[in-house]
Amino acid sequence: MSTPSAVAQRSLYWPVQWSRNRGLFGLFVVVVGFLLLYAYLFPGFLSVSGVAKFTQSWFPLALVAMAQAILMLTGGISLAIGPLVSLGAVVAATTMTGPPGALGGIAAVALTGLGIGAVSGVIVVRLRLPAIVVTLAAAFIIGGVALLILPRPGGAIPLWFSELLAGNMPVALGVLVVIALLWKVYLATPLGLSLYAAGENPVGAYRSGVPVDAARIVAYAISGLLCTLAGLFVAAQTGSGDPVIGNAFTLNSIAAAVLGGVGFLGGRGTMRGALAGSLLLSLMISVMFFLGFSPVAQYVAQGLIIIGAVALPEIRRWRTVV
Amino acid sequence: MTSVPIVAARGVSKSFFGNRVLSDVSIALAPGRIHALLGENGAGKSTLINLLSGALVPDSGSIEVDGRSVRSLTPSEARRAGIAVVQQELGLTSDLSVAENIGLGAYPRRFGLIDYRRLARRAREVCDLVGLHEDLSTPVAGLPLGRRQLVEIAKALFREPRVLILDEPTSSLSAHEADTLTRLLRRLRDAGTAVLYISHRLNEVMRLCDHVTVLKDGALTADRSLEGVDASGLVRLMVGRDPGDLFPRWTPSDARETVVTVTGFSAGVLRDIDLEIRRGEILGIGGLVGQGQEELLLGLYGALPGKARKAAFNGVAGLPGSVMRANALGLAYVPADRKREGLHLTHTIAWNMMVPSFGRARALSFRRRADERALATALADRLDIKGDLTRQVQALSGGNQQKVALAKWMPSDPPILLLNDPTRGVDVETKREIYVLLRSFAAEGRAVVLSSSDTPELVHLCDRVAVMREGRIVSTLAHGEATEEAIVAAAMAAEPARAAA
Repeated sequence: MSTPSAVAQRSLYWPVQWSRNRGLFGLFVVVVGFLLLYAYLFPGFLSVSGVAKFTQSWFPLALVAMAQAILMLTGGISLAIGPLVSLGAVVAATTMTGPPGALGGIAAVALTGLGIGAVSGVIVVRLRLPAIVVTLAAAFIIGGVALLILPRPGGAIPLWFSELLAGNMPVALGVLVVIALLWKVYLATPLGLSLYAAGENPVGAYRSGVPVDAARIVAYAISGLLCTLAGLFVAAQTGSGDPVIGNAFTLNSIAAAVLGGVGFLGGRGTMRGALAGSLLLSLMISVMFFLGFSPVAQYVAQGLIIIGAVALPEIRRWRTVV
Repeated sequence: MTSVPIVAARGVSKSFFGNRVLSDVSIALAPGRIHALLGENGAGKSTLINLLSGALVPDSGSIEVDGRSVRSLTPSEARRAGIAVVQQELGLTSDLSVAENIGLGAYPRRFGLIDYRRLARRAREVCDLVGLHEDLSTPVAGLPLGRRQLVEIAKALFREPRVLILDEPTSSLSAHEADTLTRLLRRLRDAGTAVLYISHRLNEVMRLCDHVTVLKDGALTADRSLEGVDASGLVRLMVGRDPGDLFPRWTPSDARETVVTVTGFSAGVLRDIDLEIRRGEILGIGGLVGQGQEELLLGLYGALPGKARKAAFNGVAGLPGSVMRANALGLAYVPADRKREGLHLTHTIAWNMMVPSFGRARALSFRRRADERALATALADRLDIKGDLTRQVQALSGGNQQKVALAKWMPSDPPILLLNDPTRGVDVETKREIYVLLRSFAAEGRAVVLSSSDTPELVHLCDRVAVMREGRIVSTLAHGEATEEAIVAAAMAAEPARAAA
């Protein structure tokens, strides 16, 4: 671990990035294993359209896992992820074919997410309220607003847009890569990296000169943006808006982040972990589907795997103590 | 000193909820001077630091920066004025690397992004200054406590402070690390930095500092040069009277029966420990920080899974294996981190004293309030715990908290006491009381095992001292041959001292 100090440190960024993989290799191995299993069970996977189809089923979960992981890094959690996805879908379906046009609609979706995220961030951070309560209230409000805008599934998404994102080319995968790279850039800014300090040790971070409140509020805004973008994608997939389509994402986003090793107490975890966790969850669902598990058995297996993934490091720690 | 102080407090007072913590205190931090701030726990030292660094605003009086009065100093203004604080509680982020922690809040930027190249270069410079040779990309989570403390100091230096405030910087450092720090502070002083140094270790203060400010109960009792003051004079200034000898007179204890024997004991980092503990003695456990002292106590207490070739506790063969079993065998453990492991801070003093009894009581029996009250009062009397027993423990000073952590074991009358650094962060007066208490425990025929990071304690208080290094007992010294030099030498492997216990 230690090197003589006389050796000048030539570069720091890449070693730091590498060290963030610490504790995740096991997860990566499992993910690769599941990918191989999936490819074995479903050889069609190994084609351009196969990859496209699979990433399309994974994409919204990947986005909400990131959205949840950001908030967990601040030391909070969001129960409003699902309703926010629904709202994103509803806004997209009601604006993109209307007067605002496709681009206007996308802008509306993005602003909705950023705005709602920022407002709930301000409420949590400035009023010092527990995130779980604020986002629970937000979940009711946002869900209600989505139903007000579109009481039953409807609206429309331009066909070309659906073809682009949910067609036979892996455009979604490209978008995901771009989003992951943007996150890396954000994490290389002082404000982005400070999120870790602000989440784990707010008082210490404040005394170090970190703009703790700003770092946390921005995190909420980014989280909201990712949720409504996931909604936009879901709308593109289905070609219309459904005011309750996102509900399952709230708990799945927590499951994916936890599988990816993101801690509940703030400042612990990585986005690559959350992404790998969401990928694992998607793969598990697909594999179990191909193996003919009934939906009920899928849920039970999913729960067992999550608790196992969280318990495994603990069990390993006991064994090393003896 | 005729030069203008960089930062000064003039007649500041501060109250919390009507409780006056500081009254009319003045202090001036001049460039090129190491200034000691002394006082018992609860004397107002941390409040004064917080005022000087802008974390709190005084109720009356003023803070001056470079001779100009600042109405209400904020943390960011203080930082811009070059005031850096190394806090006692660590404020690091475990998932970030050493360099990212050092630069936190002051990252060099390039195009709005963190300039990792420049960060690496400057972080390496300050790491070299404090003697931190770890790779800069190492996550802080992987570092032991003492190294984290050095990261904390490096972080303060990274901002090139004109005023460096250190709150008990050596409490978790090894002797070697503390030496490096001492040299560094002298160099900073010579370069014109103003240093404010807070420590409970008087010999450190004597060695290092030029000037001293002493607080007692929130008021200033001395602000003078350290020249011509000796350690007992300092203690006098802090407690306001002649302290006498800090340690009770040591009298040889009669050789008594062995109450604990372990042979070939291994647990966690512990390797092949042979140890005998006798009734009526205080057995000291010394060594550099983190050489397995805590594991030894926890292992004996059954809180760490371990193995031994042979073991006997209070006449019963075998290791305890669990805390409940250890309690039944007559062992009690007082942890070093009393805030997290020793006490339930938001509960009352009386409630905390009852906790071990709850474990012994029949599971579904009713509590007898009157008996509990009587017992709590008796314990408070015996250990001289001041204050209303229905107050929350967190309202007590560190010294009184420690006494509560000790008191809670007294009702079960444990013959074997395992104490982990019981006087860390405790003021001088309470230290003395605890020493007297420990000797009286030994005189009553109990066995006291005392792990301590304060070498004089081991020298003056203990009948035997076992020195640990890398999870082994490398030397066992009897009272008399256990001098500070001998203990430090054994701890640092300065001589081939080998003696089996």
